[in-house]
Amino acid sequence: MSVETRQSLPTFRMPAGFNGLLPALVLIVLFFVVPVLALLLRSVTEPEPGLQNYATLLGDGTYARVFFNTFLVASVVTIVTVLVAFPVAWMLAIMPSALASIVFGIIILSMWTNLLTRTYAWMVLLQRTGVINRTLMAIGVIDQPLPLINNLTGVTIGMVYIMLPFMILPLVGTLRAIDPMTLRAAALCGASPFQAFHRILLPLSLPGIAAGGLMVFVMSLGYFVTPALLGGTSNMMLAEMIAQMIQSLLNWGLGSAAAFILLVVTMALYALQLRLVGARRMSGGA
Amino acid sequence: MKLIITGVLARLLATTLLATTLLATTAAKAEDMVFTSWGGTTQEAQTKSWAEPFTAASGIKVMQDGPTDYGKLKAMVDAGSVNWDVVDVEMDFAIKAAKDGLLEPIDFTAVPKADLDPRFTTDHAVGSFYYSFVLAWNKGAVSGNPAGWADMFDTKKFPGKRTFYKWSAPGVIEIALLADGVPADKLYPLDLDRAFKKLDTIKSDIVWWGGGAESQQLIASGEATFGQLWNGRVFALEKDGADVGVSWNQNLTAADVLVVPKGAKNKDAAMKFLAAASSPAGQAKFAEASGYAPINTKAKAEMPADVVKALPDAHVDGQINLDMNYWAEHRDEIATRWYAWQAK
Repeated sequence: MSVETRQSLPTFRMPAGFNGLLPALVLIVLFFVVPVLALLLRSVTEPEPGLQNYATLLGDGTYARVFFNTFLVASVVTIVTVLVAFPVAWMLAIMPSALASIVFGIIILSMWTNLLTRTYAWMVLLQRTGVINRTLMAIGVIDQPLPLINNLTGVTIGMVYIMLPFMILPLVGTLRAIDPMTLRAAALCGASPFQAFHRILLPLSLPGIAAGGLMVFVMSLGYFVTPALLGGTSNMMLAEMIAQMIQSLLNWGLGSAAAFILLVVTMALYALQLRLVGARRMSGGA
Repeated sequence: MKLIITGVLARLLATTLLATTLLATTAAKAEDMVFTSWGGTTQEAQTKSWAEPFTAASGIKVMQDGPTDYGKLKAMVDAGSVNWDVVDVEMDFAIKAAKDGLLEPIDFTAVPKADLDPRFTTDHAVGSFYYSFVLAWNKGAVSGNPAGWADMFDTKKFPGKRTFYKWSAPGVIEIALLADGVPADKLYPLDLDRAFKKLDTIKSDIVWWGGGAESQQLIASGEATFGQLWNGRVFALEKDGADVGVSWNQNLTAADVLVVPKGAKNKDAAMKFLAAASSPAGQAKFAEASGYAPINTKAKAEMPADVVKALPDAHVDGQINLDMNYWAEHRDEIATRWYAWQAK
């Protein structure tokens, strides 16, 4: 949604061809802009006019905790995703292209599988009586089942799995653009493999990490299904709280305010991402 | 454009809601109607016991939709585009919704009232079925037999995870108070501080279930060793041959009711449907299929003896009726505290 509204701005100023764009603009205004404004309006008019919904959300310890949880989960997921994605992306970048396209295919295929199905699969794997715990107990590694589900661990595993392609794909692009000669030059100058990674590869791949990381972070902020199924109630995230306010408490004013805050934060991060990607394009073009 | 935005916004919102609800649900033809319930084995039983015989007798087609979503119900009524004609809801919600003007009054000239259990009949709702929360356990995972709610709070005697209903609804608060020694007749008004303090003692051992199928899966797999379940779900587990034990000690009754949302398009058909669903035959058939209790006092005469024996009616000794009126009154207040406590 944010993509469309953003892109519509520059075209709006273009007088030529404006008439042709009118249907698209009407569609965007009617189905994206109006509902968002309605959401904003509801958040300051229900149950009575004023900013009390925002005051409640920002002043109450419970909601503060949910906001904190949301950012905590999104941060943990982003960090773990980067750590897992980097070696995979590096492997893809230096692999023979025939093999790389097979691995790409496998990664893309996982994205095409239904989200709910994948999350339920993790439930089966992670629960106390699940495959992982049973196997570990059978081979004597543990005596008691590990708590892998209904907590932060479960949410992180489930969400990292879902987010990985969104990190790997931009990272591969960045890594492929790095001239391999720079690494050889580093080795020739006496740099250890770690130094070469730390001082050459990592700084050069930073734009890709930043772009992918922000995308993962922003997507994680609004995630609903995976935290709801794999997390515990004490890791409740904003999206689940909004669903509760709308469906179960019927407190639409408060729910709208929470949704609007989430939207503003997401937009701000998205703007940041655009700047970073823009910066990367510039440096890549030079 | 800026000037007119605020003025037309409310109307536009209504239009968008209308448009989306129209897109989301196929509009029913004038003589047809839409029945909405919670899905799963319960709605299957309702379809077979109520909708199919009703269509055969009256020629009115009943389309099934679901699951019940209170937010959606309110959205439909607010937007003036109601696609649901009869909805299965929890009784405390029905009382609250009637007060908020979301429901049509029941036309008791079309729905015979005489034999309906007065506990579950209001001006705006007819009972759907009633059920008990019972204590159920996986026999393979629990050593010994849990005897009552207090055992769910005894982690020494009964280690392992225990499962409770996740949403703010009548049940868990009462269980905590009963386990803490509050006499059944002194439950209301609910002492929330005491209940949450009691729940705190086992919080890290609780696995929440959000729907009936989940509760069955948790107990059957042993993921949770025991828990608070709807008796119909335990009944279904037993029918499937799962090795479960059940204690009816201090079983807690609550009810689902059938309501007609304000502005429903097929009100007449809806009232006829309510008459059929709450009739002795409709109630008997549904109880037989689901293990939930009929809300028509004449229904039991039409049911096999072994089914009657498995109903909450057979366990009235020590049975406690959850106070739906109290819950309707304090729904928001309890819910706010409930979710805040859960998120802690």
